[in-house]
Amino acid sequence: MARTTRGNPLLTAAAALALLAAGGAGWGGWSWYAAAHDESAAYATARDEVLAAGEQAVQNMNTLDHRDLRRGLDTWRSSATGELLAQLDDGRPQFERQIRQARTVTSAKVLSGAVTELDTRAGRASVMVALRITVTPPEGRPAAKESRMLGELTRTPGGWKLSALGQAPVGDTAAAAD
Amino acid sequence: MSTTRHLINRRRRLATAQAPRTTAPPRHAGPPDGPARTTGTDRAEDTSTTKTTSTTKRTGTKKRTGTPKTTDTTNTTGTEDRTGPTSTGATSPPRTRPRRGLPAALGVLTVLLGGFAAWATGEAAALRDTPSARNAALTDMARTSEVKGQVTKAVNELFSYDYAAAAPADRAVRTHLTGKAVEQHRTMLAPVRSRAAQQKLVLTTTVTHSGVELIDGDRARVLVYADQSNTRTAAKKAETTYGAAMFAVEAVRKDGAWRIAVIDTLGAGS
Repeated sequence: MARTTRGNPLLTAAAALALLAAGGAGWGGWSWYAAAHDESAAYATARDEVLAAGEQAVQNMNTLDHRDLRRGLDTWRSSATGELLAQLDDGRPQFERQIRQARTVTSAKVLSGAVTELDTRAGRASVMVALRITVTPPEGRPAAKESRMLGELTRTPGGWKLSALGQAPVGDTAAAAD
Repeated sequence: MSTTRHLINRRRRLATAQAPRTTAPPRHAGPPDGPARTTGTDRAEDTSTTKTTSTTKRTGTKKRTGTPKTTDTTNTTGTEDRTGPTSTGATSPPRTRPRRGLPAALGVLTVLLGGFAAWATGEAAALRDTPSARNAALTDMARTSEVKGQVTKAVNELFSYDYAAAAPADRAVRTHLTGKAVEQHRTMLAPVRSRAAQQKLVLTTTVTHSGVELIDGDRARVLVYADQSNTRTAAKKAETTYGAAMFAVEAVRKDGAWRIAVIDTLGAGS
């Protein structure tokens, strides 16, 4: 037996190559596993999910057509959770009346967005969304304005939803700095 | 002398030929010469005489075909070397097959393992190379706060201007800007600079919120919300107006410091 392995260079070479390939396979497999279970990659995925959900929700909350109020407000509801949802439900009758009177069509476009905080364990996140809101009155030209939105998101069984939304306050810090 | 030498040679030869065989086949031939089994050494000698007939009949006949005694010994060892593997015929075919079969099997294994290695490495690289995984915003906390801090400081300094002291503003331009942003900044601040002395302008910009959208190696994009106060001290009663700004900056890391390379006003002057 010793004679066969010692005397057969082909076998020795084949064994060495197989060993090398086994090493490569082991390393490759480990690397693949590590990449698939990378915590930072999972966190990055969550961040991108939060940003996409946040931008969509903020856009939804700034889109409303008086001709199709019901659907618009249902979209608002589906984008919100927690405190924000409660506020929406509380103010809905009054708000509907206002929009019916104003007869405006509001649309929004996300200019840029960023996740500023993300706690995947607690399921909470904060986003900044730069928005251009266009309000079209029944008569006259549509008016566009830029809006600096700040949102807080909470993870729900139905995905990340806005639990708070507001505009970044103006002038506070500048006044304080003076 | 020659006959004894021949005999010794034959014995030696037979003893070596016997050695591997004693384990299996000779046992059947063994019992007849029962008394010889007492000791190993005795047996080797004894069987040599008896076995010439049973086991090495072929060599025996070959020998007797009449070749010179000197060549005879070499010849027989030669044949025995050849007969050795063939006489143990029961084990030889599985031994010759692995000689060709084993390298082939190892070759197949190499190809399979190598294939898996390549596939797994590719898979791992693909997972690591997604735009999501490449973006280190928030995932790399140290980098993220570094970018945030430096961009905030840069914006505060770049968009603040005191008519009485222009030096810090000029220094800010040199330290915080690069590339296209130099020209962008100049055009943006031109109206302020032109009116500054006359109106005794003091412009103060304070970043209130910033969010890192992207960090890809030495490139980053940051969304900035800032408050601006514009104070005209030329009038008897200082007048201050407040404004809100939102824009994004693209920064590049050079010599350990982040510099603003592009100012993105998000399609509006704001």
